Amino acid sequence: MRSKTFRESYEEDIRIFQTLWVRFWLVLFIVALLSLPLWADPYIIYMANISGIAIVAALGLNILTGLTGQISLGHAAFVALGAYTTAILATSLSMPFWITIPSGGIVAALFGILLGFPCLRLKGLYLAMATMSFGVVVEYAVTHWESLTMGVRGISVPAPSFFGFSLGDPGKLFYMTVFFVALLTIAAKNLARTRVGRAFVAIRDRDVAAGIIGVNLTKYKVMAFAISSFYGGVAGGLYSYTTAYLHPENFTLLLSVEYIAMIIIGGLGSILGSILGAVFLTVTPDVIKNVADLIGHRFVFFQGRYDEEWNVAVFGLLIIIFLIIEPTGLSGIWSRIKTSFKNWPFTY
Amino acid sequence: MKRKSKTGLMLLACVMICFGVAPNSESAEIRGVTNDSMRIGMILVKTGPVAALGLPEGWAIQDTFNGINEAGGISGRKIDFIWEDDQFKTPLAISAFNKLIFRDKVLSILTSGGTPQTIALFDQIDKHQVVNIPNALADEMFNPHRPYIFIIGATYETQIELMFDYIMNDLKAKDPKIAVVYAETEFGKKGLEAARKRAEQYGLKLVSELVLNIGSVDASSQVLSLKKDNVDFVVTCNLVPPTITFLKTAEKYDYWPTTFGINWSCDDMVVKACKTAAKNYIGVNCVGGWADDTPGMKRVREIAKKNDRDPAKMLTSLYTMGVGVATVYAEGLKRAGKNLTPESFKNGLETLKDFDTGGIVPPVTYSSTSHAPTTMSRLYRADPDKGVMVAITDWRTPKVIKK
Amino acid sequence: MAEGALYFIQLVISGLAVGSLYALVALGFVLIYKATDILNFAHGEAMMVGAFVCYALVLYGVDFFWAIVITMGVAMIFGLITERLVLRPMIGEPQFAVVMVTIGLSIFLRSLSGIVFGHDNKIFPSPFSQQSIAFQGLVLSYTHLWSIIISGLMVILFFLFFKYSRVGLSMRGVANDQDTAMLMGISVKRVFALTWGISFAIGAVAGIFLANVMVLNIGLSLVAIKAFPAVVLGGLESVPGAIVGGLAIGVLETLVGGYLDQLLPGVKDLTAFVILFLVLMIRPYGLFGQEEIERV
Repeated sequence: MRSKTFRESYEEDIRIFQTLWVRFWLVLFIVALLSLPLWADPYIIYMANISGIAIVAALGLNILTGLTGQISLGHAAFVALGAYTTAILATSLSMPFWITIPSGGIVAALFGILLGFPCLRLKGLYLAMATMSFGVVVEYAVTHWESLTMGVRGISVPAPSFFGFSLGDPGKLFYMTVFFVALLTIAAKNLARTRVGRAFVAIRDRDVAAGIIGVNLTKYKVMAFAISSFYGGVAGGLYSYTTAYLHPENFTLLLSVEYIAMIIIGGLGSILGSILGAVFLTVTPDVIKNVADLIGHRFVFFQGRYDEEWNVAVFGLLIIIFLIIEPTGLSGIWSRIKTSFKNWPFTY
Repeated sequence: MKRKSKTGLMLLACVMICFGVAPNSESAEIRGVTNDSMRIGMILVKTGPVAALGLPEGWAIQDTFNGINEAGGISGRKIDFIWEDDQFKTPLAISAFNKLIFRDKVLSILTSGGTPQTIALFDQIDKHQVVNIPNALADEMFNPHRPYIFIIGATYETQIELMFDYIMNDLKAKDPKIAVVYAETEFGKKGLEAARKRAEQYGLKLVSELVLNIGSVDASSQVLSLKKDNVDFVVTCNLVPPTITFLKTAEKYDYWPTTFGINWSCDDMVVKACKTAAKNYIGVNCVGGWADDTPGMKRVREIAKKNDRDPAKMLTSLYTMGVGVATVYAEGLKRAGKNLTPESFKNGLETLKDFDTGGIVPPVTYSSTSHAPTTMSRLYRADPDKGVMVAITDWRTPKVIKK
Repeated sequence: MAEGALYFIQLVISGLAVGSLYALVALGFVLIYKATDILNFAHGEAMMVGAFVCYALVLYGVDFFWAIVITMGVAMIFGLITERLVLRPMIGEPQFAVVMVTIGLSIFLRSLSGIVFGHDNKIFPSPFSQQSIAFQGLVLSYTHLWSIIISGLMVILFFLFFKYSRVGLSMRGVANDQDTAMLMGISVKRVFALTWGISFAIGAVAGIFLANVMVLNIGLSLVAIKAFPAVVLGGLESVPGAIVGGLAIGVLETLVGGYLDQLLPGVKDLTAFVILFLVLMIRPYGLFGQEEIERV
């Protein structure tokens, strides 16, 4: 049980990492993370990059859906907007990544504001469908505005460079990704703690009541859309550098559903939840594939039976199971484990 | 807060699971090659919305390789074959590529998915020297010349050109009204452009260019629009399902233009599904017809029968293509000889000159400066009574039209 | 008749035919929404499974008429099972969670169908003659005629069902206020189960019709997404709204395809969603729906 945690100043109280124990583990984690390219094979680094992108996108969606309660089935559209902006700026104007990626975020945020205004009045189901149709429209625009986006031919994105160093291979891309992920995660964590974050939560819980006590619904709802889209856009920018080739087919409704699944499985409204959910859903297909391979080697009957479709089936099943059994998601499970440890031996 | 650090632990744990569960592969000196085996990978769609395009070809390749293994392998090595599914999605294709090269350490990847996937992997293919015969017919694959990518099959440009040649020279149409119905995919767009270009070369103007996407419920507005404009010849650049929808809808409205289809929709299944609706349907394909009486096609039918593949239930043209691809691939491996490396494999394929598969695909020629495919194809016409596509021309190349 | 006018009318008729298919799909959605306040994103998959089951039955030599009847029965049982396993635990949960469960269900069912039935395209044997009726230069195929007739019948049937029958009334009661309905002695569980069973059965019929005009494969389930605009346009809880919405979307789509496709390629597929967005902006509860009044 935790003891001797006296807080002697206001600053200590609001600190995110409070005890020495926690800070020790944090340092260890950071060391392990930053040294990843040294001890892991390129495939794991690649998976780490993809997880990083998913984390950023999931964080954005969680701000909109988990914190502010606005269901959005169109998140993939913002990722697409960010990705294409980054790609276009990088290919035709040859701008460096530290301009293109934030620009991707900003463009996506502008579209988020554009979407936010009409959606002010909508709730629940209707909002879900409006965002979904927005996603479809963006997908159509991206496919057909060929002069800008190369349509179905796709855009090849050159490797980003940092003052002359090419960041092409997964290891270097990893550092770039870690930088953005860390920055945005801390920003999100702080956002949740401030006035803006509280306004969001108020809107989620009872928006009419929030309006009555003085929360400017318009301002905060649109802000939520903008911030969430910004995150999506940055994720898109990272995505375009990691996969080095963009095609409109990658940004469909299914991607939006994947992001929603991440925040549901991770835990709605929780920053840790976004991270856990994103990593879990990115890594699980791989783990399943490896397990299936092992089983295939042992029992010949199963060899070759496994294919990607099982992954999709498991994905759908996970969504259902988590919603029925564990609505607070992985972060909820985590909190419970932590609490039982903290309160041991009084674990009830 | 403890949460953040335990996140780290969990992340670490996840990473370790991946690492730990990974199968251990012996690091051979040459990636994927040992004294008695060679590991070959393949990225081809197995499931998902366009699975029907990948399954027959994948089965064919698997069956052909199994047959080779039963006969003793190539230069004493048996083929250890791994088929990765990418659901025709680029991120999955990239993951599969990474897994095959870094985890399974394959010698080469037979096909790296479709056109978008292969384009995304261009740099990686060159970097890791992955000899590749992609499931793609775009000319970016060989133009500019890419050392490790070899193409089999006629490009969309060639196919469209042959269609126009047929209309103008074989059917001797005077002032034909030609329209294009295409899917909004890369092959559809390429077909559209090729059609525009060819029409211009013949001094014609396309009457209309309409979209018919995969997954369309209904082609009524397209058919009615074409009928209103009195179009005689419809060039479709589409897959099998929309082509079936189009032909059936045209039948409903009693509209009987001569409809052309590219290789993806030049298949017996179209005839079987449409029956009388396909009576004016002509397709272009770069593989032999299923019922052809050539030694190659006989072999294809035998392989299918041996492995219980029912021709009535799959896209036979793709199965044929698969056997053709596998045969060419195996020939390259054979010519690389006992000293098998990615380079020797590539060189082996480049020695192919007029390599005859006995009628499965037209003779294959590669050189060290060109991996372009043949420009030969055949036109087939649907025979609704027999339920198959029947060849109506010999192997031919498009006419060169000088300005 | 003048060429232009003929063209227009023919487009409208085709639009009505396609629209009746959308209406049939929309009906399944409205049914569940009307009784349980849930939008079942997995309806497309229910249709697809129905079509696959029917295909399998016909393949084994069952006469087409009986195949449809058996399929409807199987679909009904399937709906009951789904309701029991997946939706029953979600009673009382917020709407967002239930929507997500149905989305998860749709993904799961789609891939499961792929694994069980295979991913290739199957040719659906059509019981309808491929001929058409021609009248003064206008054409309508038998398949389309049948789909219009069946959709119309279903709509009338369900309209009467909800308005006059006891079971229908109890469904509406449950949708309106679950707690009160329970207090009045209506078995909410039974109503839910019945609703899902019937909706799946209708979905199966819609699926069979769709498989007739398209090719039967996993992609069939995506047609349901096209039906969303129809449902919203008509009003989520209005049965006549479903058919009006479906027909409207069908006609508008076909007209846009016939006139605008040359200028803006592919705009036909976008039409439905643009309409959806507009409806949501202007009148979210649709043409025939009722406005929800929220009390704090």
